[in-house]
Amino acid sequence: MEQTKAIIADDEDQLRRYLKSQLSEVWSDLIICGEARNGKEALELIDQCRPEIAFLDIRMPGLSGLEVAKEIAGSCWVVFVTAYDQYAVEAFEHEAIDYLLKPVTPERLEKTVKRLKDQIISSQKPPQEIAEIVERLMTSLPKRQAPTYLQFVRVQKGDGVRLIPVEEVYYFKASDKYTMVITKEGESLIRKPIKELADELDPQQFWRIHRGTIVNVQCVDQVSRSVTGRGVVRFKGRPESLAVSRQYIHLFKQM
Amino acid sequence: MDISPSEISPKKHLRSLFITVVFCALVALFLTSVKFGGETFLENLTVSLCIGISTFLCVFTVRHLLKPTTPLMQFIAIVIAMTIGSITGSLVGLVIIGVRPSLFIIREYAFFIHIVLIGLLFGSIIIYYFFSRERIRSTEAQMQEEKIRRLTSEKKAVETNLKLLQAQIEPHFLFNTLSNILSLLDTDLNKGKSMLMDLIHYLRTSLAKTREEATTLGQEMEMIKAYLNIFKVRMEGRLRYRIDVPKSFENIPFPPMLVQPLVENAIRHGIEPKIEGGEVNILAKKNGDVISVEIADTGTGLYEDGDMGFGISNVRERLQSLYGDKGRLILEENHPSGLKAIIEVPYGTDQGDHRR
Repeated sequence: MEQTKAIIADDEDQLRRYLKSQLSEVWSDLIICGEARNGKEALELIDQCRPEIAFLDIRMPGLSGLEVAKEIAGSCWVVFVTAYDQYAVEAFEHEAIDYLLKPVTPERLEKTVKRLKDQIISSQKPPQEIAEIVERLMTSLPKRQAPTYLQFVRVQKGDGVRLIPVEEVYYFKASDKYTMVITKEGESLIRKPIKELADELDPQQFWRIHRGTIVNVQCVDQVSRSVTGRGVVRFKGRPESLAVSRQYIHLFKQM
Repeated sequence: MDISPSEISPKKHLRSLFITVVFCALVALFLTSVKFGGETFLENLTVSLCIGISTFLCVFTVRHLLKPTTPLMQFIAIVIAMTIGSITGSLVGLVIIGVRPSLFIIREYAFFIHIVLIGLLFGSIIIYYFFSRERIRSTEAQMQEEKIRRLTSEKKAVETNLKLLQAQIEPHFLFNTLSNILSLLDTDLNKGKSMLMDLIHYLRTSLAKTREEATTLGQEMEMIKAYLNIFKVRMEGRLRYRIDVPKSFENIPFPPMLVQPLVENAIRHGIEPKIEGGEVNILAKKNGDVISVEIADTGTGLYEDGDMGFGISNVRERLQSLYGDKGRLILEENHPSGLKAIIEVPYGTDQGDHRR
């Protein structure tokens, strides 16, 4: 029988080395045909040396271990390695996917090795379904979801570019092609028309009250009607008041 | 005395009316026993009830229909309502028990005025009773609200502390570091030992500090150094760091665990995801009465994974609660890449006066 080959992918040197030495103790004729320091290297390595087994750390720069597993599904057996990923571990348990927890204990490693050997001897094919399982897992991981709305505005300040969290903005005001950002610390100009900005901001938190004005609802102190019957917005900690145009006044009805 | 109607519920008014009726009966009983007014208890009860109900209706009308706003207006309105109520009630009551109005108004007006005054006296007593009852209720409601507010803010503080604690001993960090140490014990004993010492130093200082009000910039930097050393070993060549804090700054008081979350962000979201790694540079400066600590990384910049983390909002909140508007966190783009976070806190004799 041809000797079994494996690769180890982990961004931390010591951890690759440690897993390798542990493996050599419980599975002496396993050949580690290569080590990868990130997801991209892992993919290349798997492509090059066609191992039967891939030990993949979940958190790696570039591509994560999960992303690598999705790419190579069906071509080799995957064992995920993680220090602590509660959601992933729960899913692995549920889907009977092999995983190791760092620091890896000899007992657990022996179990994993035994299972791998059985699977390889009975010449089963590595499961293709791992791609779908990982896909499902990745969409359900809370951290993986990129924010849908703008979180920071970039503002030129002196030589640098300041990043202002949107929750610190009182309001945005159109100024020609650009937009004025008003915060506790004053006004600054951003090179983005207010129309574009309106689409990127969280509509729950930022309300358009006028063609050229978007206010942060969190900062609004009160909305009142002026003598002429127009709506007026006032802020906590700022002197000015802003007019609400007729078409937007209904927004404040539920407040 | 606030007498504006708090909430209008028919049930409440019926109860008040019932109390009024009982009170009137007691007044009638009392007057009969001191031999004042009519000859029988029934006559006194009739007049008393008329005065009571009439006063009740007048005050009710004033409160719910006219709705006076200022306390003075309220007081005047109540006095007028009571007077009208008492006079009307006396008249109606006397007519019912068979006394001709012309008789007592012209010939015995002194007796009539007595009745009206007694009506006013007892009316004041019962109105005072009603209003103080209402006031007690609204005070209780206020206290309840206050209590809820306090409990909510306490809950928030506990949650923040818990999150902070979890952030410090983040399991991923802890287990990865321990795995590294385990490996180093086989391959490089001295390196393993020194990493373990760094971990111990980091854990001990960070755990103790959450409870302390202030530490010094020097102590804080010692802890950050231990933290960065751990990552330096773990990330091998991928992390470089520099801490540039003048020796004279070491004894400056500085709030604990403000720098750590920002360093953690720089590594975790800035440098770790970058294949070639990068640098973390920490720089402290004094400008007049402001101390600033700058944490710059050459990582991925405005974190691509979009996760600014609990760290940034937590640092902001803590600066706000410690120094109000005098402490702040500034985020900037770093040159040529990465992110720069700057903490500014007041420094000087009045430090600490801004604590709320």
